[in-house]
Amino acid sequence: MHEVAIIEDIVRTLEEQYADRVMNISKVEIEAGLLCNVQPILIQNAYEALVASMPSMVNIELSIKILPIIAYCKECKANFDVIKYTFVCSCGTPSKQIIQGEELRISKVFF
Amino acid sequence: MGTVVKSKSNEMPVGSIKSDDTKLNLLKANDFVAKAIKEKLPNILVINICSSPGSGKTTLLQETGKLLRDKIKMAVLVGDPETDRDAERLKSVGIEALQIVTGGMCHIEAQMIYQALDHINLEGLDLLIIENVGNLVCPAAFNLGEDYRVTILASTEGDDKPKKYPRMFLTSELMIVSKADLLPYVPFSVDAATKDAREVNPDLEVITVSSLNGEGTSAWCEWLLSKVKEKKAKLAVNA
Repeated sequence: MHEVAIIEDIVRTLEEQYADRVMNISKVEIEAGLLCNVQPILIQNAYEALVASMPSMVNIELSIKILPIIAYCKECKANFDVIKYTFVCSCGTPSKQIIQGEELRISKVFF
Repeated sequence: MGTVVKSKSNEMPVGSIKSDDTKLNLLKANDFVAKAIKEKLPNILVINICSSPGSGKTTLLQETGKLLRDKIKMAVLVGDPETDRDAERLKSVGIEALQIVTGGMCHIEAQMIYQALDHINLEGLDLLIIENVGNLVCPAAFNLGEDYRVTILASTEGDDKPKKYPRMFLTSELMIVSKADLLPYVPFSVDAATKDAREVNPDLEVITVSSLNGEGTSAWCEWLLSKVKEKKAKLAVNA
């Protein structure tokens, strides 16, 4: 969802953050938590379509890494993997303390 | 200069010389505006109501307006891709309502709420309800500066929705099962829906209502009144 908004935000963020070096960027890595409802193939397609008309971006490759959901169990004092959106630890304790899975960010920029 | 070798695969470009590890958050503009909304409304309870289209959001709010009219002052901002029909329905029962036409967009963004605040009378207002666009996916990702998020699930939709749309139920504090008058006629189990929803969100409260015969509407209004009171009490403590 919101592929275009996400791409526009990627472009804007790179232009702000690397104003003088945007032309040198070869690749950008996005980390998207599973809870962001981001589909890599849709982002990829939207990216290629949108940057086609942007000279500073057209040569930047995009890769998207989906991060699984991890929550914290206060009984076990340990993190556990949330499988099929079931926020219940294997010990039976429910948890809403999300450690990973909600992020949507640029994690790596290659020059 | 970086490499000129381009690859459309997910592999590292050959000859890459340097990488910057960063944490540049995306879509943060919405959260920034959401925070501004919260700061602008320190003594008004803001509720964001989400659901699929046709679950009975507007009908429940019409009943809510009638039940609360002598107790508190409430206003509704209602979002739809097109038409002002819902705002008209709300106004027809005496509720102050403003339509947000999203122009085809599938959700309300914080910026739309912030702008709408200039067009409603905030003076003496106790409760501002945002009726989101009917959609269980996209609105989940957009904080509108609300104090509580309420998701309505109609008995006609099927009790397996919470796991299908986990982020919406994960980010809600209350789930309302609507159209309870139809429960005898449809294969919907409130217990099954509650169990499913609480596996996603163990803290989720559940209220079953029927806007048609009035079942549960007083419990819903009591919930709203208690939250209005809580918010004002919190402000008094901080003052």
